[in-house]
Parts: sequence; C-alpha cells; structure tokens
Amino acid sequence: MALGEAKRLGCSYADIRFTRNRAQSIGVRNGLILRGGGGFGGGDATETYGFGVRVIHGGVWGFASSPLVTPAEITRVASVAVDVARASAVATKRDVQLAPVPAYDQFWQVEIEKDPWSVPLEEKVEHLRSVTSTMQKNASVLFAVASMSFEHEWKYLATSEGSFIEQVCHFADCVAEATARTGTQVKTRSFERLGGAGYEFLLKADLPGQAERIAAEAVEHSMAKPVERGLKDLVLMPSHLALTIHEIVAHATELDRIAGYEANYAGTSFVKIADVGKLKYGSKLFNVTADRTFPTGMATVGFDDDGVKAQKWPLVKDGILVGLQTNRETAHLVGEKESRGCTFANHWRNYPFLRMPNVQLEAGPKGSPNVDQMIADVKDGVLVDGMGSFSIDQQRYNGQFGGDAFWEIKNGKKTRMVSDFTYNAITTDFWANLDAVGPQETWEHHGLTGDAKGQPVQSNHPSHGSAPCLIRKIMVGAAYA
Amino acid sequence: MSYSREDVKAITDNVLNMAKADAVEVRFSGGERSATRYANSTITANLVEHDQEVLITVYYGQKSATTSTHQFDDTSLKSAIEQAQELAKRRPDNPELMPPVAPPQDYLPIDGALQAAVDFGPAERARLVKQSVDVCEKKGVLGAGYIPKLHWTDALANSAGLFAYYRYAEASFILTCRTPDGTGSGWAGTTGLKDVSRIDAAAISEIAADKALKSRRPRALEPGNYTVILEPRPAARFLSLMLFSLNARAAEEGRSFMSGAERGATKLGQKIFGDNVTIRSDVGNTVLRQTPIGPDGLGARPITWIEKGVVKNLFYDRYWAQKQQKPFTPTNPQQSLVMDGGTATVEQMVKSTRRGLLVTFFWYIRPVDQMTLLNTGMTRDGMFLIENGEIVGPVQNFRWNDGPARGFNNITMLGTPVPMHIGEAYDNPGTALVPAMKIEDFKMTSISPAV
Repeated sequence: MALGEAKRLGCSYADIRFTRNRAQSIGVRNGLILRGGGGFGGGDATETYGFGVRVIHGGVWGFASSPLVTPAEITRVASVAVDVARASAVATKRDVQLAPVPAYDQFWQVEIEKDPWSVPLEEKVEHLRSVTSTMQKNASVLFAVASMSFEHEWKYLATSEGSFIEQVCHFADCVAEATARTGTQVKTRSFERLGGAGYEFLLKADLPGQAERIAAEAVEHSMAKPVERGLKDLVLMPSHLALTIHEIVAHATELDRIAGYEANYAGTSFVKIADVGKLKYGSKLFNVTADRTFPTGMATVGFDDDGVKAQKWPLVKDGILVGLQTNRETAHLVGEKESRGCTFANHWRNYPFLRMPNVQLEAGPKGSPNVDQMIADVKDGVLVDGMGSFSIDQQRYNGQFGGDAFWEIKNGKKTRMVSDFTYNAITTDFWANLDAVGPQETWEHHGLTGDAKGQPVQSNHPSHGSAPCLIRKIMVGAAYA
Repeated sequence: MSYSREDVKAITDNVLNMAKADAVEVRFSGGERSATRYANSTITANLVEHDQEVLITVYYGQKSATTSTHQFDDTSLKSAIEQAQELAKRRPDNPELMPPVAPPQDYLPIDGALQAAVDFGPAERARLVKQSVDVCEKKGVLGAGYIPKLHWTDALANSAGLFAYYRYAEASFILTCRTPDGTGSGWAGTTGLKDVSRIDAAAISEIAADKALKSRRPRALEPGNYTVILEPRPAARFLSLMLFSLNARAAEEGRSFMSGAERGATKLGQKIFGDNVTIRSDVGNTVLRQTPIGPDGLGARPITWIEKGVVKNLFYDRYWAQKQQKPFTPTNPQQSLVMDGGTATVEQMVKSTRRGLLVTFFWYIRPVDQMTLLNTGMTRDGMFLIENGEIVGPVQNFRWNDGPARGFNNITMLGTPVPMHIGEAYDNPGTALVPAMKIEDFKMTSISPAV
C-alpha cells in the first residue's frame, strides 16, 4: 500500500517499517517500589506500535510516521513523505545515492532462554528487594537502588526493492547501586549489565551476589582520599573500557560524522576518509572489530533498517585504521560498492540513519597478562572499574573520563581506593600507550544506553567488548586541580 | 495533527469511564514533530512525525501502576487499563504514593500555539534552508543546520474531576558553518520560538558563517584560568547545571550541592552566588508562552529560586512536602525559566576585557562531582582571544572543569536575556530566557585541536 502509493507518486525508492516495542521496568529504592523505574521503558509498562514511511523522490529523502495503523493512514503518510521530499527539492544540491543490496525475504530473531514476561512481577520485585536489603545491611549505605528493565521489539521492513524482513529482538538491563556519605563526601557505586537477551541474562548477572561488595565499596569510596595528580599507568577493566571505546573509537569511525552530516549536533571526526589504511590509531596491540552478529550484543541484528544483512569487519588492525562504519547512503563516499549495514532508527516514529554497531577491542594473544599480572607490572598507577563522568570533544580527540571505582596501584600492589579520579586522553596518543591487552578468557562484553545522535536526537544502545588493558603514562586528576 | 481541548477531553473521558479503581489518572500527549536537517549545504533529512499516547495510572489505596498506549480505540484502551489494574493490584504498597491532584486548579491563560507556528511546514523550512545556503555559498562555507518544529498537546485528567490542557507550537533555527578546509567552525541559532516570524535565517547564517571564517587556523593558548564571555548558548548550558540541585529532597537527603553540612540541612536562605544572580520560573512569561501546568497537574505559579545570590526556594514535590510538613511547590525549576540579565552587550563585554575569551558554544558537558557542581565540557564552533578590549584572533578549543558554584560567584557583566535552549539537544521544550555573561577566573584545563 505504502510502496504502491510511493511508486504512483513517482518515487525512485520507498520503504515502510513497522515496529512494536513492549517494555517493562521495575525499580526499588531502599525496598520501596519506584514509580517509573527507568530503563528502556521509563515507565511501568509501555507499548508502542506504529510505522514510518521513507521515500526518495527527485533524489531527495522524505519521511513520515504515524501510530494509526490503518490502510487509509498508511496511504496518507506515504503521500506526506512524498510531499516532504518534494518540498526539500528547492534546497537540495545532490541526489541521494544508495549502494545496491540483494532482496531478502527472511525472519530473524534473538534466541532467548527465558521470556521476561513469563516471570511473575512478584518474583521480580522480591529479587530486587533482596538486593537492596543486602546493601542496606551495611549501616553506612544511605540509599540502595536496584532495577531491571526489559524490552521486546518486533520489526517488519518492506522495501520497493523487494525485501520483506521480519525481526524480533530482546534487551535486558539490570542495575544495583549503593550510595554512601562520609562527612560531606557522597559516593555511589554501581553494577550494571545490559545485553540483547532474555531473563537469563539478569540471572547470570547475579545482582544478589554483587550487593554486599557494591555496598562496601560505596562506603570505602566515600572515605577515600583523592588520587595524586600526575602521569600514571592505568589498568582499565572491560566495564570501564566499553565507554572509552564507544567515545573515541566507535564514534570517530562513523562515516556520516566524517562526511559532515552531524556537524550541527554530534560533531564530525578527527578521522579523515583518506586516513583509512594509513592512520596509526594505536599501538600494535590495538585491534578493533565492528560486529553486528555478536550474540547478546545490544546492536546485534539480522538486518539493518536498509535491509542490509548484519556483518563483522575490522576497523583497526595492528594499530592501523583499516575500516569505517557505512550504510547504503554513505558507502559510495569511500568507494565501497556495498553497505556495512549501519542504518537504524530507535522507534517507528523516527527516521533511520547511520548508527554504530557493537565495536569490540579484540583480546590479546594466548599468554597475554591478566589483571593481576598487569598490576604487578605497574609502579604507580590506578585500577579503574565501571563507567562515570565522560566528556569528549566534537571530533573525538580530547576526552576526559572518570569511572565508577578506583584503586591506587603502588609498586605492583593494589593498595586502597582513591577518589576524585579522572583521566585525560588524546585519542591516538592514548591508544599508542596501550601496553597490554588481556587474553580471551578475560574478555567481556558490556552494553550501553543513551547514545545520542541525529536531529531529532535518537538514543541508541550498542555494546562494546574488551579484555582488561594496561595504558601507560596517562594524566590523571586534572579535573579536580 | 492538531488535538483540540474537546478532542482530548473526549479521549480522557473515555478512559476515565472505562477504568474502575480507587482513582485513575490519564496523561495525554500528542501532535506533530517535524524537522528539516541539512549538511554540506544540502538537505539530508526532512520529516513529519505524528504521535499520540495516553499514560494510564490506576490507584488502589497505596498501590498504583502505569501503562501506555498509542492507539485510542476501545480495544487498545481497555487492554492498557486492564494491564494497569492487574499490575497495580499485584504491587506492594508504596507509602510515597500521593493521590491525584484535586480540582479546582487555576491555570494561567497562555496562548502557546500561534497560527503561524502551527502552519510552519516543510515548504517554509525548505525556504529557510535555501536562504541559509545562499548565505553560506556567498561566504564560501558549508552549512549544517537544523529546523525543528513541535506542534504538541499535553493534558492531564483524573477521576477527581481535574482536566488540564495545554497546546503549543514552536520552532528553532540552529546552524553550524564550517570552512571547506576544516579549520574554521561557527555556530548561531535561536530556539523555542512561539512567534516564528522572529526566525531570521539569513541573519543567523551571516553570524555563523562569519564566525567560521574568523575562527580559521586557531592558535593554541596555554590552559589556565581565563575571563570568559559566554554568549547565550553556552550561558544557557551553564545555567542548566545547577537546576537539579534545586530539588529539596535531594538536598535534605544529603546528596546534592544544596545539602547543608549537617544531615537534613540545606542551603535555603544562604547566599551561594553573586549579587547579580537571580533565577526564576516566570510562569506566564509572554515571550516563552510555556505551559501553565505544574507537576502532577498543579496550577503552576511564578517562583523565584535564587534572588541576588540567595537561595529563596527549593522544589518540594507533594510527597516530600507532606513528609517534611512544608508547602509543596507547584512549579518545576525548568518551567518558564528566566535568568535575570543586565544591559551590557557582548561588544561592551569585549571592550571591558583586558585579556579573555569569547565563547560561542559549550559541548558535551558532564558532571564530575554533583556535590560541588563541578562539571567538565568543551568549547566549540568559534572561540576568540580578547586582548585590551579587542578580539585579536581565533584560539583552539579548551576543555574546562568548572561549574556554577564558582562561576555564578564570578559574574561581572550580564546581557539582555534571550530565548535559548538549556539542553544538549533542541528537540523537547527547554528554552529559557538567558543573558550572555562575563565570568572571571574560569578554569580551562586542556586544549584540543578539534575544530
């Protein structure tokens, strides 16, 4: 219907994408249910269903969307999308070029072991209450918060080029968080795990098993002395590196940013198209892969919203930039004949555009040092776990990162927690100082939410994996100077 | 898609008639969000989105649950209601749950939907893009801009008889110009305008293009403490950093900048900022024309948060007010936000500065320490060195680590407040009236060659 209307109105391309998103989130604070709860849904139980029609008319994009899924509305919205494209023609200089893609007629889904909606609400609440109860046993904990969120997404894409693709995704998120105050110093310690998975993911994360440690570390952090400012070696855990990789590798290698599409909001990139195959991004230990196929990945799919099959490809090899993230619209900018499949919209209401896949820092070879061995090799450094304050310039060059918990390393020993920690990274210098990457058995995968890009802004949720890493001689503590 | 008062009342009445519980609350939101985006001086996205949603909350004693649906046929509404009823009954009691707000509530009459903004469509936006691109081409720069429009309705109804309704239409014009060689970048824009005739695309494009050209090949300065002149956009972002701290509960629970030294104490009544800092929620402001509906459907009223540097009010939600035996606050700090200004122009600020920086834009601001309001962020899209009252040239961007706790004690000049969004993106309501400000001793901690 939409495709027929678009064809009748003279479009060279059209697609219609239906999605239904069902979300549930539950939060408990000091044993009491929080209204809303946060997480994917941001409410107790939400459901949203609708469709978006995207067309190219006269070489120009048009997009319109609606939650009213009726034949008349689909026809109306298709014609609105065409009207929008026509209106744009007066201020458009270049025709959209799409890389070719085969037509697919397929169903794909994330395999899960346990449907979150099959677990009774009471069981979920008790699970969370047991977590906050354990944390509250520590008398110095002011607030104990635990939450879980689930999302189920069904999506159907039909294109004028003959693709009919149905997909089902699942996402799970769980958090335990303790806040302690000593004097006027207030610190929160968090444990969060996100994945493209079902209820089994939450059980494996084992919030109850983390609660006592989280509480104790929140209290210790609230009593910790500030880190000494200066150049230090950093041992960074995968739970922390996920955000660093996200900010200064994944975003920097998005081709739409490099080409200037995001100049008014998310920014451009220090990476240039001509840098591919030449730019020394990091040390020889630095190998980065883009991967839409990784099981439990938050950005794992069967097909992107252009109907391009999910794939895996290298971004950095032996420290040299070798690839970029592309979609059908941008592939031609780097002379590639096929898209890497990076087009996504976070909602039926929103237009699809280039979003990052899961971006992974590959583990070191067999026999690479583990965390204890890295610590033993550090005279003056800091061990960093979890994500905290983070900020990066619009070309992904100057970053300042905090974390969730920090331990001083002196003469090869982990000594005490420290506070007031941030480090500063100039992207290529930072990865050039990468001196060790842990082996495969220490590699972990961590999901993120809240990845903002585009206008109107859309929030994405990718994952980033790594092993623990040792980075030499990084400036720490400058934020508090 | 426009939702009249009668349209919405019919929808909320239908839900209230169908739902059986001790109490029921329905929140409606819906309308049109549309936008035109361009980059490299050509349109890259143009869209019209229609959405509508009801959030249905049912109450049984101290139990409640909320569900939502975007479809308003009886079957969809019934399903959402039954799901909420089932969830609520199975929930443990929540001692913090407050009953729905009872009528009458007195809402200030505000016309937020002027017809020109309601009609502001893809063709009008494309014409503005054309005007902008023509300027960019004349100046030899590449334009990347965004023209969002919202025509939206928010309403709240409950089984106690309350019905609150507010419809508004607003648009923004935001532009970044870059030089083709990538060494210069400039920003200009205006946001949240109910009167779209105030959008002057050509004038904004001239400013952004000139900034881009003047910012080419910036030189590096040493990090350190600088006098800064924040134009309204970075000033608005800087102002936003202290709003969360106005929450009374966070303050009394000992987890915010407004917390006192003793547990339970706050900084209410204390002088925390300079004499020239006054921050208000001016509900009914005739430029902002923002919602008269306060939290939970209360009739919002003007309130002063900071007056001449002194904390005059903190925000008490209804539960925390009842618990602490204090009056609740009918207005959110973000509502109709106004920071009082002065009479200085940016040019006068520059002339008065022996050595300092003119800052166009703040980017990627994130908290470092909530208790002290210490934040970090970057400058972006045009920063210029001032020496002896003159702009002497562009400089490389700085990372800063500072915050309102220091900055709002070091303001020496203020401009006339103008509409400017306080958030990182521009899509949701969030425009305030904010003046340009000159701040002494601002901490720039490292440089970035990013342009």
